[in-house]
Amino acid sequence: MSLKEKEAKFGWKLVLPTVILISLLILYPVIYNIYLSFFEVSISDAPNKFVGLGNYREILTDASFWKSFGITILFTFTTVVGSILLGLGVALLMNREFPGRNIVRALLLLPYVTPLIAIVFAWKYIFLPIDGPLMQFLAIFGMNPGNDFVNNPNNAFWVVSVFNIWRNFPFVYLMILSRLQSINSDYYEAAEIDGASDWQKFVHITLPELYFVIASVALLRGIWNFYKFDEVYLMSKFANTLPVYIYEKAFSGIPEQGVAAAIATILFVIMISLIGLYVKKVLKW
Amino acid sequence: MVKKKSFLRSFIFWSLIVILVVFITYPFVWMLSVSFRYDTDAFEPGIIPERPTLDTYAILLGFKKSVREELSNEQQQLLEIIDLLPEDQQEAVLAEIEAQRKKESFPFLRFFRNSLLLAGLSALVSLILSVFGAYAFSRIEFKGRGTIQRGVLIVYLFGGTILAVPLYQIFVKIGLTSTGFSSAIALFIIYIVQTIPVSLYMLGNYFRTIPRSIEEAAIIDGTTRMGVITKIIIPLSLPAIITVYIYAFMIAWNEFLFASIFVRPFPEFYTLPLGLNEIFNSEHAIWAKMMAASVVTAVPVVVMFMMMEKYLTGGLTAGGVKE
Repeated sequence: MSLKEKEAKFGWKLVLPTVILISLLILYPVIYNIYLSFFEVSISDAPNKFVGLGNYREILTDASFWKSFGITILFTFTTVVGSILLGLGVALLMNREFPGRNIVRALLLLPYVTPLIAIVFAWKYIFLPIDGPLMQFLAIFGMNPGNDFVNNPNNAFWVVSVFNIWRNFPFVYLMILSRLQSINSDYYEAAEIDGASDWQKFVHITLPELYFVIASVALLRGIWNFYKFDEVYLMSKFANTLPVYIYEKAFSGIPEQGVAAAIATILFVIMISLIGLYVKKVLKW
Repeated sequence: MVKKKSFLRSFIFWSLIVILVVFITYPFVWMLSVSFRYDTDAFEPGIIPERPTLDTYAILLGFKKSVREELSNEQQQLLEIIDLLPEDQQEAVLAEIEAQRKKESFPFLRFFRNSLLLAGLSALVSLILSVFGAYAFSRIEFKGRGTIQRGVLIVYLFGGTILAVPLYQIFVKIGLTSTGFSSAIALFIIYIVQTIPVSLYMLGNYFRTIPRSIEEAAIIDGTTRMGVITKIIIPLSLPAIITVYIYAFMIAWNEFLFASIFVRPFPEFYTLPLGLNEIFNSEHAIWAKMMAASVVTAVPVVVMFMMMEKYLTGGLTAGGVKE
């Protein structure tokens, strides 16, 4: 055996445990999920019953699925746009020196790194009808403090979206800031000599330079938020996005895991196209 | 004119900073404030607690018995008359009291211990596997390397939502969901797999920044590849390794979906996210306790992050965090 072959063999040995684990517990389940979506999955010892496209027919004719689907799209769109605008604004703000900058920088990490379970209760608390401090504050502006945002299906969407933006904009801000700091300052100097206003500098220099990073962050956050479960469910299960819908179908009441698998497959197909776009446009393979 | 404009500008700038800071810290400030109150004072207005107390923390951390845990009158009376009962009934009554007390307690320390064990161990295994895997990716040429690397990166974007049903079915089939302990093992395995892609990716990126010449010298001196990894690569990349460990730890520490699927029937094995959520949904008027529990849950992770902030922002922007 040549040295090179020996090396290659050693390399394989090093990655083999990882490859096995990922194949067994990620790749195989994804395929198994598609398989299950054609069955009525039994929760007892009885064998699964093949129903062909039955599950899909059931879902696609179910109005509540389409409603949930719409909410998911809206949720993804709102949170991506919201967190990018906020992240961009904050990055521009933080891109200059000021006293106390380091403290604000550290604080900015907090929403993102604090364990989810440790922050949802505080959010539920401030949104409590009547007693919640945020509701009392909003009442000053004439809002009815008796509104139950968290447990009302009509409002839950907004709470969940605002929460998601609050939690994830620091990630966007960090990505944009690190790009901002690498923009060549010569550009700005040249523009100043030409008498460009701040707005012109922003539109003609900053934005084009940021275009790529913003596009990739948007796609990444889009993928993540599209199948986001815990942040939505723990904040308010009434927000009823598709992942919550899958969870409720599969693990509560009378479980319909075949139907859940079919919804997950639909979700997966959409997600794979998003990922494909990401790989092609952002990673450029 | 110029001065006036710059004053206005800096006024706007500082207003925006203040708004930003309030926006970020608002829920945290209330969380802290309520955690230093009694459960009954949770809705007293004003951000500074009027009767500040450390009681909630003391109860949570087991230094003090909560009112709920002390025997109720009824239970005490039962205990007094127990001697009068026939022996077989005595046991039943005792068990009943025990069960009642268990239901009323807030087993925060148990959740904490379970989470610590699960997150700590799964992150460790994932780290060890990733160190070897990432080394192979960054240094050794072998057939299929590119494919596997890309595969890992794509898998890194998959979410638990899609895997929930099939993984549950698989673990039911192999019989790992029948007892609490085996369900916890299932969870342990899942957490390892969930954290490997991000660890591999981040470590691989880091290893590529270490000059090859360092290890080439060692190899010429007769050190094996394994020796290179343990004696050169690991010591050189310790900060990166610690950062990756914290990430992996945090993913498992935060995880709710799989925990709720696998260990919900077994309260002995509840992790923090599952346990706190169950208690929140089943009991009333425990805001102070929930907030104190939130603070104690957050502190280890936040402290770790703040300590590693320098390395972290680099890692974050390089790869993003797996969610």
